[in-house]
Order: sequence, then C-alpha cells, then structure tokens
Amino acid sequence: MIGAMTLPQAPALGESAPVRRALIGATVMFLGAFLLAPLALIFAVAFGQGIAAYFASFRDPDTLSAIRLTLLAAAIAVPANLVFGVCAAWAIGKFEFFGKSFLISLIDLPFSVSPVVAGLIYVLLFGARGVLGPWLTAHNVHIIFAVPGIVLATIFVTFPFIARELLPLVAAQGNDEEEAALTLGANGWQTFLKVTLPNVKWALLYGVILCNARAMGEFGAVSVVSGHIRGLTMTMPLQIEVLYNDYQFVAAFAVASLLALLALVTLIVKSFVEWRVGKPGGQLA
Amino acid sequence: MSITVHKITKRFAHFTALDRVDLEIPGGRLVALLGPSGSGKTTLLRIIAGLEIADSGVVQFDGEDFSNRTAQQRRVGFVFQHYALFRHMTVFENIAFGLRVRPRRTRPSAQRIRARVTELLELIQLQNQAGRYPTQLSGGQRQRVALARALAVEPSVLLLDEPFGALDAKVRLELRRWLRNLHDEVGVTSVFVTHDQEEALEVADQVAVMNGGRIEQVGTPDDVYHRPTSSFVYNFLGNVNLFHGRIDDGTAYIHEEATGHLVFVRPHALEIARQPRGANYFRATTKHINAAGPLVKVEAVTEWGAPVHVEMAQERFRDLALRNGEVVYITPRDLAVFANEQRAG
Repeated sequence: MIGAMTLPQAPALGESAPVRRALIGATVMFLGAFLLAPLALIFAVAFGQGIAAYFASFRDPDTLSAIRLTLLAAAIAVPANLVFGVCAAWAIGKFEFFGKSFLISLIDLPFSVSPVVAGLIYVLLFGARGVLGPWLTAHNVHIIFAVPGIVLATIFVTFPFIARELLPLVAAQGNDEEEAALTLGANGWQTFLKVTLPNVKWALLYGVILCNARAMGEFGAVSVVSGHIRGLTMTMPLQIEVLYNDYQFVAAFAVASLLALLALVTLIVKSFVEWRVGKPGGQLA
Repeated sequence: MSITVHKITKRFAHFTALDRVDLEIPGGRLVALLGPSGSGKTTLLRIIAGLEIADSGVVQFDGEDFSNRTAQQRRVGFVFQHYALFRHMTVFENIAFGLRVRPRRTRPSAQRIRARVTELLELIQLQNQAGRYPTQLSGGQRQRVALARALAVEPSVLLLDEPFGALDAKVRLELRRWLRNLHDEVGVTSVFVTHDQEEALEVADQVAVMNGGRIEQVGTPDDVYHRPTSSFVYNFLGNVNLFHGRIDDGTAYIHEEATGHLVFVRPHALEIARQPRGANYFRATTKHINAAGPLVKVEAVTEWGAPVHVEMAQERFRDLALRNGEVVYITPRDLAVFANEQRAG
C-alpha cells in the first residue's frame, strides 16, 4: 500500500488511506487556492504586457525612489534590531533579574499592537501637534512625513523578530559553554565570537531574513507617518497602492513581484537553515 | 599548586549555600568534595574556579590571594557535569580552543597546537575521533574530551563538577578508575564534587564531607569511613542502623529511655544467631531476605518494633538457613555513639 510506505506511523495513528488522502488533498487545495494562486497571479499580471513593459515599470523615477527608500529603511532597521535582538536575547536568556517577564512581554508589544497604532504613536510624539513637535519644528528637525519617521516606524514593527528567534535558543543553551570558554582563558569578546555567536548563527540568520522581509513589506505604520509625498516618502508597499489606484496595474504588480520574490527568498533561506541545523555541529539544542 | 579556602560565605536570596568554609587542599592531591545536594559543594568548586563570587572570604592559590581574579586569569581546568563541549566544533577544535584564544605573544604555533592536541587525544584514547562533533560521541567519550580540553592549557588546578554524574553505572566505574590513573600520571592538584560516597572513597586521596554549607570532616577515605567525627558523616558514608539510647559508665544501652545519644551500627557489623550469645543482644523477627549479590541482606523487626538491616556473607547465610518470619538474636560487633545533636540544639 502506497500510503503506508510514504507515511510510516504508529498503528494507533494509522488513519485509513482514504481519510489520509482526503486530509492531504484538502490541505493542498487550501494552500493552492489561498497562497499559490494569488502569488502566481502577481507574476501573471506583472508580465501580462510582456517583459519590456515589466522592466519599463522600474524606470519610473518615483518607483525607483520608493525602492531606494525601502532599501534604506531596511538597511537601518535590520542592523539596529540585530544589535538590539542579540542584546535582549543574551540578557533575558542568560541572566535572572527582576522584571524579566515584563521585559519579554514588552518585546512582543509590536506583535500585538496594530501597525496603524504604532504609526500614530510616532505622530503623537513627533508630529507638528505632538508632544515634541514644537521643539522639533523650532530646531528644524523633520521626523513625521519625512524619512526619519519611516525608519522609526519600521524599527518599531520589526523590533521583536530577531530577539524572538534567538531567545528560546539562548535560554535552552544555558551558560555552560561560555563558562567553559572563560575557564580556558578566553576573554568576553572571544567567548562571544567563538562560542555564543556560532551556536546561534542559523537562528540569527533566519531572524534577520524575517526582520528584513517585514521591514520591506510594512504598510500600516509606515503609511501613517509617511505623508505619501511621491518621490520622497513613498516606500515600495505605499508605491504599489498608489500605482494600483492610478490603474497602472502592470507597474503595481511589477513592484509587488519584487516583494513576492523576497518572500520566496525568505522561504528558501528558512529551508536551508532547517536543513543546516539538522547536521552535526549545527544542532539547535 | 595548593589551594586554601578561608572563611568563604555565599548566600543566594534566602539560602546560605556556604557558611564560613575553611579548606586546605595540598598540591598534587586528588580531593573529593562529598555531600548531599544542597550542601554547597558545587558552589564551593565554582568559587574556587572564579565562576561564582563569594560574599566574603579568601581563595588562595599557593598562598597568593586569588579572590579578585577572574576565571580567565586563574588558569583552572574546569570539567562540567554535562560536559559543556562546544557543540559547533570538532573534538580537535574543542581541545585546541584554550591554546587558540591565547594572546598572540604566548600562543603556540599551529604545529605546536597540533602536536599538543594529538598528544591529548592519545591520552584519552580518542585518536580516531578528532574530526567528530560532540553529538556523535557517547557520554563517556564526551567527558574524556572535556577533560582533555581542560588539560590542554596546562592548568594549575583541575576542578571537576560531578564529572561522572550523567553517565550510566558501568561507564562511571570505568571512567573514575581512569581518572585516578590519569591523576597519578599528570599529578595536577584536582578537586572533584560528588554526591556518591563510593566514588569519593574509591578515587580520592582526601575527602571533605559537606553538609548544609559547612564542612563536616576532612580526612583520608579510611579516616572518614572508619573514624567519622559526626553522626552526619557516619550516616552519609554507607548504610547504617540508627538506635536511640543512653550511655552509662562506658556501656551503651539501646532502646531504653533515650537520654540524648544516637547509636549507629553498620549492617555488616551486626551478627545474627539462632541462640542468644553473651550479654549484648536483642531479639528480632526476620521480615525480608535478599540473597542476590555478594552479601545477603536481611531486613528484620526488633522486639520494640523498629526495622533493622543486617548484611552477612553468603556462607554464613547458608549455615543459618534463615527464612522469613523467624525469631533471631542480633549482636552488634561494632558501634558508634554520638550525642543527639538535634536535642543538644
């Protein structure tokens, strides 16, 4: 029986072959209808008027500026959250201190707060009528409806990704290896570089990829602080919306296809990391 | 290198792990810190290593105060209970680690490192496993790699925290004999923590018995086993029968109106007979007999209803032909008497 060969299981869990096929079939159909088909559609529309039209979309200066701004926001947000994530995971995973569980909930905050609210927080803080608004205006510093606001909002929403990916791993690994390194004469920096970092490198890579995907794809929070000034404060997701509303479908879907590609890269890296972690010397725990 | 621990105290939140502990470890010896869990033995070892900082007290290496030196500066070899091997490095890289992290001035050349690691791999008999990762080794092999890694830096002292605790019984027995031989060969001052009295007595030159954050007794295995200075030590080292009694004119009277003395008798120091002999005996009824093993273990109930354990040679057991539920007469050959500390306060 084919089913029994492909799905070796304990007899107690051995559903009959028709049930198994029905379950697998339903899952595949669901994934196909709700995930794969829309993804394929993006590329279909993007290339709908030929490859030339697809690449012509990227010659529009506003679109190019949106891509540049997205790359810039990600290039600042990802390293910032990388440093923060490693510090937070290290502090929470390795030490016991008062208020630790509160700190963990705080890190999760951006996950539970609507991105629109996240954007509004910055408007209330730095906007013209905000708490710090008059001072900022007096010193000619522009945050809201300018690039700094977009970077701040991006950092806020992508804040938990790397810390969350590292935390369980760091906590599970304990301090033994670091202590061993210290007794062998390694200093703190050597211990971090040669022992701690290699032990978490794959989780770290995956966290960075996730963080980057979200940083580039964020819409809500960025939309609130952006002000939608074409060529200046538009990121890729905002640009897609504007193009779509202007009935420029090919251009909208061409830019969307870039973000979709990013999702595919994320998936590939995730598979690679999982495969690598399963190999000797790369164990998670 | 000798180690001196002077009035070390360490508290965790509401728990005193070490209470003004003094200990002298002469150079070149293999010393066991023996005690039940929570007795402070691991904390003391970690304080000697510099992995934990004492609230007060002094740690000296060869008479020099090391209390304020970091673990990195103390040059101790530390072996962890769960090995703590670097999981992303091969066996070879693990052992080489301590040499590779040295500052450039004192770092040996690549060839010297290779030679040193090869030499250590031979010592632990794992020459063929150099390229393997820790997860591909058995528990006993991992612990040997951990030992080689600690020895690679030529430590001034070797500290081992329950080194055989995570291994199964047979490997444990093998490895502790191997450690004893290794110590005789290398001669580095070594301290190991254990809760297993048999392990401590078999391997160590000297045993420090710990209880409740204090050291109860320090001595050779022979000393602590045969001449315990406290009821705790007597109780902790080996099986024991406990009777309450009183002392009058150099005679112990057991199970009379107890007047603050504890009488201990080891199971093998009790003699079972079918007839009363001499004046020192009490009557008991056999309840359970276990004849599997080198000694026969008999569990009996005394005439006043307390359980008593007796061990005897297989031959003696055959001569007696004992069965369950028989009335026998038990004579202590050897006993130890301590003042009842609980009562004394």
